[in-house]
Amino acid sequence: MLGWAGAILNIDLTSRTAWREDLSAELLHAYLGGRGLGVRLMRCFHTLDPFDPAMPLIFAAGPLCGTPAPTAARLTVVSRSPLTGTIYDCSAGGRFAWRLKGAGVDALRLSGRSETPVALVVTADGVEFVDVPELWGRTVPETVAALSGRGSVAAIGPAGENGVLFANIMMGEGNSVGRGGLGAVMGAKGLKAVVVNGDIPVAVADRERFDRARQDVMRLFRASPVIFGELGIAEYGTPALVDLMRQRRMAPTENFRHTVFEGSANYSGPAIRSAYQAKKDGCYGCPIQCKKSTPRGEHLPEYETVSHFGALNGIASLDAIVKSNTLCNELGMDTISAAATLSAWGEVRGRFPGGEEVQRLLADTAFRREDGELLSLGSRRAARALGRPELSMEVKGLELPAYDPRGAYGMALAYCTSNRGGCHLRAYPISHEILRKPVATDRFSFSGKARIIAIAEDTNAAIDSLVACKFSFFGATLEEYAELLSAATGIEYTPQSLKEIGRRICLTERFYNCANGFDVKDDCLPARFFAEPGSSGEGVDIPPIDRARFDEELQKYYRIRGLTPAGTFADPDFLLTQP
Amino acid sequence: MRDQVSVYTNKLIADRSALAQGIAIAAQDDVLIAEGAPDLARLAGDVLSRLTCLGMVVACPSLPFADFLVARAPAGESCIVPHDTETRTFLHDIPFLRRSDLGADPAPLIARLLGSRKGVVVEGVGIVATGALTVEQAYINYSSVFHSTFVKYLQDVLHHGFILPGEAEAFAAFRSQWLRPLTHEGLAFRPGPLAERDEILDEIATVGRYTVERGLVDSFFGNISYRAGEVIYISQTAASLDSLAGCIDPVPTDNSSTFGITASSELLAHRRIYEATGAATILHGHPKFAVIMSMECAEEGCAITDCWKECDRVRFLGDTPVVAGEIGAGGLARRVPPAIAGPRKAVVYGHGVFTVGETDFADAFRAMVAVENWCRREYFRRLEERLG
Ligand code: SF4
Ligand SMILES: [Zn+2]
Ligand SMILES: [Zn+2]
Repeated sequence: MLGWAGAILNIDLTSRTAWREDLSAELLHAYLGGRGLGVRLMRCFHTLDPFDPAMPLIFAAGPLCGTPAPTAARLTVVSRSPLTGTIYDCSAGGRFAWRLKGAGVDALRLSGRSETPVALVVTADGVEFVDVPELWGRTVPETVAALSGRGSVAAIGPAGENGVLFANIMMGEGNSVGRGGLGAVMGAKGLKAVVVNGDIPVAVADRERFDRARQDVMRLFRASPVIFGELGIAEYGTPALVDLMRQRRMAPTENFRHTVFEGSANYSGPAIRSAYQAKKDGCYGCPIQCKKSTPRGEHLPEYETVSHFGALNGIASLDAIVKSNTLCNELGMDTISAAATLSAWGEVRGRFPGGEEVQRLLADTAFRREDGELLSLGSRRAARALGRPELSMEVKGLELPAYDPRGAYGMALAYCTSNRGGCHLRAYPISHEILRKPVATDRFSFSGKARIIAIAEDTNAAIDSLVACKFSFFGATLEEYAELLSAATGIEYTPQSLKEIGRRICLTERFYNCANGFDVKDDCLPARFFAEPGSSGEGVDIPPIDRARFDEELQKYYRIRGLTPAGTFADPDFLLTQP
Repeated sequence: MRDQVSVYTNKLIADRSALAQGIAIAAQDDVLIAEGAPDLARLAGDVLSRLTCLGMVVACPSLPFADFLVARAPAGESCIVPHDTETRTFLHDIPFLRRSDLGADPAPLIARLLGSRKGVVVEGVGIVATGALTVEQAYINYSSVFHSTFVKYLQDVLHHGFILPGEAEAFAAFRSQWLRPLTHEGLAFRPGPLAERDEILDEIATVGRYTVERGLVDSFFGNISYRAGEVIYISQTAASLDSLAGCIDPVPTDNSSTFGITASSELLAHRRIYEATGAATILHGHPKFAVIMSMECAEEGCAITDCWKECDRVRFLGDTPVVAGEIGAGGLARRVPPAIAGPRKAVVYGHGVFTVGETDFADAFRAMVAVENWCRREYFRRLEERLG
């Protein structure tokens, strides 16, 4: 088999045993890797409680990992989210995936629970269980520093140890496996860190074809203003979106009460560049390098983070925002959910937290002390506990990121159909509704959006299974990536066949969710977006979303997906019909 | 969705890339609709229902060039490989099906080819193109294939003459009937300098529309800008030049804001051209004869193979310089500004034309018309020379 290692490494943390298992070619061809493979491997475990010791935590690389395919050296972690209760996956950059594949496996599947803090070291020769009582309670950078001599590290911080429901797993280079709280799943297993160190090379079936496809991708990157344009993400990172969202009047402000924040220019891409002498940084194997850091190597925040620690909490100080980001990274906590939970809590109590207060509260959250005990549960549970459930701005318990749905109706729909809850990255309609890629669509229209969302979900599920970065697709398309994959594996893939794989993955995820009780009632936005307008002005009108039209389009989505009007499966044996 | 179908049907007629009676468009939302010429509409629906795509155009091109390319292709070949920038960057190549491949139900076969390409040529039927997310995208892909096959066919004829029966006659008809005189006469330009923002936006939209109406560009290829003081007003990426209202980004020259991230991929080229020329306006389009002639390099024994991006010579078409360079961050922005500074016009290899105006769009428009007319004349001069 070319492209894949053809094996998975199972690890039982309770008995401290590890065993390799072959993965069939049929399974790999049908699910690719990363998200798809992880989701498939969750079958039969998907109704377990996220903190059940038997719940798997899966680290998976993709068939392009280890090849020079642009942005494809990424890792996906899959399990069930303690925050949302949904099937959950998240991808992250860094060398980890490359070294994991280099150890001769496509994926790690961890289960069980260690009584005492443990770290795993995985190499091509086997697995070592290392007792690390001295690292429990340590921050992410301290943990990474202690272990990085042994390979690439994925670790949790205090937030993961303490079961914060939006705790991250952090990669040694600073990338995060974020949003859904997989750090807490890892913490519940007593697992502080996973270190991998392999360097078995990955062969490419047709080198010439591969290089041609790679050049095609690079040409499209150069032709994309969003990627390599002089105002694009390679120059300014994702905070390049700050000015755009301000101008489109869809920057969530004060817990989504408004959609323009006057102080946002303080943390725009150019403002960050000049304040911190930001330099290019990014994931291993990526020519775009969209991440930014200070000359000292401190990671600077992404768009969603600056906007949520900024506008969403009414904070204009860039300095405070950067500190909050750094603190979340050190403590191992998701910035979007942390900031959104603080904001919901702020609106409930009638006052949004100021910059320094945010930092104190973040630390309290990670250690679950005082107000932090409540905040550690995320905005849905916190707002409910305080008697104001309507002030939690989430879908399925996952806090909405920094794209106000009143400013982009495809985004409104996509938040609701996303299998992992209120996430912008599944169908990613921002790409066409705002950034005009691959074509522009009318952001204030629902027309055709159900189909567009379904197609984009399928496409992105394939991308997440390759595992490539979504930002590549501001320039390249599945056409070039299908070529890369065919050239790497020697098996013919086409954009159409990749989208069919993506569809299988999306439906499998949805099926798992339905098995856990999710249905149409969970595919809905907070009432605020249907009742209150955003901040109109400058010739742009931001009315509330038309509920009837939204529901109509959601029903279309169900029909396109072959689901019942309740958003569920008519066929209880759907999974059995899949490879 | 139905409104989209009629919008793009009308566009295909207006831009004269398809025969009015030979157009069908299909789109699928929760249901599939297919409208237009009945046979083609049936085919469009049959093909689209097999694909994870929203839109599809099946149309018979107004010129038989794509079919000629298929008929001229050696047996055993299954795709056309044009060398213009459009194809190189976005299409890669254009697969085709021969009439003899089609059988009773060609839909599955066409769908299979479209499973990996944006557009294909089906001999005797026309160009079939998909739009992954919108009907507009299918229209754009149809136009890209039409443009690329047009360019490639005219190049082939220039190099190899007519081969097939009927070709010379069809070509003569193209020359005498399809082609129209290209002129700026009768167009009104606002005299510059323009100061008011609304006036600038309106003038850009007007001139954008002129470029399409006069056949200088296919609607979404190309871009246009106006510089007023510290702001460059530029058309957005993938914007149709004939409907620019609301699709023009004011970009500060000092990069103090990034909301111009949606501006045309040639923003950097425009910025550098303004710096090099001191001009106030820039027009950029892909007029077909300029694209064709830019690829006619007489240099013998040149070691460069990737001429379109690597060639560092400046060649001339009449008094217009030709340079190499890729779109966006690919070198065009570096090579065009020095070449354009003196002559106020330049051609990019296999790609298109840039022209500038000192205070308004009148000069720029006139210059682009002149370049294309020169290239058109030169093309036919060389063709006659070749055909003897
Ligand atoms: S584009 Fe950015 S996030 Fe994506 S792989 Fe590259 S550096 Fe990482
Ligand atoms: Zn161009
Ligand atoms: Zn040359």
